[in-house]
Amino acid sequence: MSTYREVKPGDKPFKRAYVAVMLWFVGRAIQSAARVDRAVRAEFDALPEGFTFCLGVEPRGPFMVVGKNRKGKAKYLGWNLQGREIDLSMRIKNLEAAILLFTFQESDALSACRNRIIVDGDIPAACAMMRVIDIVEVYLLPKIIARMAIKRYPAWPFRRKYLGRVRIYIRSVLGY
Amino acid sequence: MYLPNQYRFSCSAKINSGTRALENLPMELDALNATRPLIIAGENSPRRGYVKKVISALKDSGMTLGVCDDIPDDPDPSLIGELVNLYRHRDHDSIVAVGAGPVVDVAKIVNIAISHDGGASLRQLEGGARIMNPLGPFILVPTAGATGYETSRYAGVRDMMFSSPFLMPDLVVIDPRMVPAVESGQMIDSAMTALTHAVEAYTSAAKNPIADVYGYAAIGFVMKHLAPVVSRPADREGRCALVNAACMAGCIISDDTRGMAHALGETVSAMFGIARGISMGIMLPYTVAYRAVNGEAFIAELLLPVAGFYEYGRTTPSLRASVAVTMMIDLVRELNETADGVMPRTLEEAGVPEYMLQDIAETAVSHGLSRFGRDDYLTVARQAWEGSPAMDR
Repeated sequence: MSTYREVKPGDKPFKRAYVAVMLWFVGRAIQSAARVDRAVRAEFDALPEGFTFCLGVEPRGPFMVVGKNRKGKAKYLGWNLQGREIDLSMRIKNLEAAILLFTFQESDALSACRNRIIVDGDIPAACAMMRVIDIVEVYLLPKIIARMAIKRYPAWPFRRKYLGRVRIYIRSVLGY
Repeated sequence: MYLPNQYRFSCSAKINSGTRALENLPMELDALNATRPLIIAGENSPRRGYVKKVISALKDSGMTLGVCDDIPDDPDPSLIGELVNLYRHRDHDSIVAVGAGPVVDVAKIVNIAISHDGGASLRQLEGGARIMNPLGPFILVPTAGATGYETSRYAGVRDMMFSSPFLMPDLVVIDPRMVPAVESGQMIDSAMTALTHAVEAYTSAAKNPIADVYGYAAIGFVMKHLAPVVSRPADREGRCALVNAACMAGCIISDDTRGMAHALGETVSAMFGIARGISMGIMLPYTVAYRAVNGEAFIAELLLPVAGFYEYGRTTPSLRASVAVTMMIDLVRELNETADGVMPRTLEEAGVPEYMLQDIAETAVSHGLSRFGRDDYLTVARQAWEGSPAMDR
């Protein structure tokens, strides 16, 4: 007779909390960067009004939603997908893949190449959002870490990089 | 590249391989509409921690799993009935087989039984082409020692044998964490089984362009990684490549591609208790050489996956078959030296007495599906016993 047991595999609360905090901060940083950085603003200008984008982890989250409001400004819309019509959804296939991405062991491009991300929506819009996330990462992270997280580290003037970084950090923390 | 006049290729197995591939299981199960998987694993899995790793990968999925991780290496057919009852009474909706060899066969047969609920009995479904409908969701997590039969269309426990394209897994997850370093004999056994099946599919008359792609990759991986992995078992990438090769070879095994090396290897294994892959590995270069001498056109093309573009390009077409054979003999010799005689170079070294060659040929010809007869099998067996391939004569 074969022995049988039932197992509940449990959760990964610390990893989930870490990814949730990162998504929350990246969401707010995208909103701030759209007000501070011209390139990010241009990317959002090209997107249709009311556009919503979500980035999160399958199957149970966490998620973050960023949208473009009626005034044409980028806005962090929180973590809840309920009742929202999402135009572009980028879902990381599992929590471990999200950890690789958000601990910068893998760049977003590499993660996509390794089949860890599912994109549902318009591909040009997805490319635009990837460019936005890359720019935000340059602002948020020190060069040594950002180089691992993005494809090519840009050569920005001092003023754009450091002043922009300070402004984006302040705006992200304060949420405006 | 050869386009046959008519061919058919089907492979339902989706392969998901690489670092942390196991973590995709919750999503893949979800895609198969499965929420309560039954994990079936071998009795060595708790010791190696295989099931623990699978359970850990399913954390955060919210699923409840059933686990049976004591399937013996020589399972009794009555075990299948027990597992079917467990599956039904505990409301499972999918099977995740973790391991290699018999445990996967058991899982496949359980899947046949539960998918034919109230219909035909297992005995009525034995043989080929009797399973006509898709089976329940079936995921395979191969471990070290996978030979390729796991992904194939075949399953067998003792005298029960099944064959159907629906027996191929829906998903194969190859994760380096599930492929630890094992003893060199087991590694050579599984890789040589994969190499034999891939070579025979790549050079058989039933070959087709899509199977060629699988065969090309499988042969290339074994030729490139087997000897380095045996000499340095810590080579994680190499171990993972060998399991990939086994899975790809399994996808292209069919009744039409199992040829002379398979038949002779199976026979020698059954008669003398030598591991199946080892005996196939001994026979393979000699059967390939014999077939080349007998005018089989596809043997020369074998040099491309065996040696790569550079060697293939610089070798005169008329010499390609013999160079391919030489490289396979060199591989066997290298394995023999590195693994302290685990891999004999000839049947004589494997302890097969010369007077038994006749019996081997007679038994093998009844298993073989190639165009060759008893005398051909005897000639090849003698060449493998002496260690002199047909091309050297």
